Amino acid sequence: MINLKHILKLRSLPGATSCTSAFLKETLTAPACSRINASMISGFPTPVRRELCTEKKMPTVRYSDPAIREPLKAFGKYAGECLPKYIQSADVTIFDELEILIHPEGVLPVLSFLKDHHAGQFVNLSDICCVDVPSRQFRFEVVYNLLSLRYNCRARVKTYTDELTPLESCCSVFQAANWYEREVWDMFGVYFTNHPDLRRILTDYGFQGHPFRKDFPLVGYNEYRYDDEQKRVVIEPVELAQDFRKFEYSTPWEVFPNYRDADKNMRKEGAGDEK
Amino acid sequence: SKAAGKLTTGLTGLAVNSTPHISLTALYDRTLKLLARMPADAKYRQSTEAIVKERLAAVNSEPDISRLEKRINCGQIEEVVQQAERELQLARNFLAWKPWEPLIGQAPPNQWKWPL
Repeated sequence: MINLKHILKLRSLPGATSCTSAFLKETLTAPACSRINASMISGFPTPVRRELCTEKKMPTVRYSDPAIREPLKAFGKYAGECLPKYIQSADVTIFDELEILIHPEGVLPVLSFLKDHHAGQFVNLSDICCVDVPSRQFRFEVVYNLLSLRYNCRARVKTYTDELTPLESCCSVFQAANWYEREVWDMFGVYFTNHPDLRRILTDYGFQGHPFRKDFPLVGYNEYRYDDEQKRVVIEPVELAQDFRKFEYSTPWEVFPNYRDADKNMRKEGAGDEK
Repeated sequence: SKAAGKLTTGLTGLAVNSTPHISLTALYDRTLKLLARMPADAKYRQSTEAIVKERLAAVNSEPDISRLEKRINCGQIEEVVQQAERELQLARNFLAWKPWEPLIGQAPPNQWKWPL
């Protein structure tokens, strides 16, 4: 059973807004292997984290920081226990980032929990973005990035949907979601129900198509140019001066062992009619 | 009584609350009433009751506002009131959504697989 005090205490580690004294700020925010001892700055003796300073660390490697990782793991587990109906999994990535994977029905409950609960307070919605992976059955992966100012902590919530299934809009929870969801609609075609004003935001007024989808060509379908005879901008099918060049980039050596099966797996799954 | 307390919270849009004890006890009592309607084995209910009871105990035993702020250690008392309001709203919504029930659906087998 998770000790809540443990979570709340752990989560007021480095950079917490509740630490008001400058003394604590020096110790807690000093970089791990800094050669400048905090006592040189503040003048009082400060507890230096000796074990990290004496370890041989390679400066070009990004090491995982347990002080960030452990509280995030604990919070992810706690969230999974509070909302078992919607949370499919809650993990910390290799870069010490909390990712909560949820069922699409759970967008509002999970986001409300993260924003309103005492132990969460993820009041800031930093971004909503979408990832298009055409080979999946639910090709669009919608990602909500949240920030907690109280605990200096970030979390990511991921759901999935396809071209035709709408997601619930979270504008009632986060006002910032308004334009972000408009952008996802415009660029990918993911519809959000109960959105106050879902219309295009970046594409031109009569534009057809959703540009960030993987099957939308890089140069698009139409091009605009100023026509001197008609004295206005005209829209014509795109004509490239040079053939579109597609480079192979293949080497005889294997570069990415993790992507060995990627080509095989990119064939569409689930639909079964393209085999 | 304004002369006795603080002049401003320093945060835009957040007014000074001259009777935070009244606001907090009211909010926490209503939250506890809502939580009592949830199943007793729900993790959300257990942990939120623990937090709310701890804060209520602090509010009831500490009449001085700035000492109460330090004891709760979660920002200014007006921010604590905001947090209590949010938690109350969340408890109301959770009674409708019932998130303690088992998982409604797993993702398809390779949905989260990366790299492909």
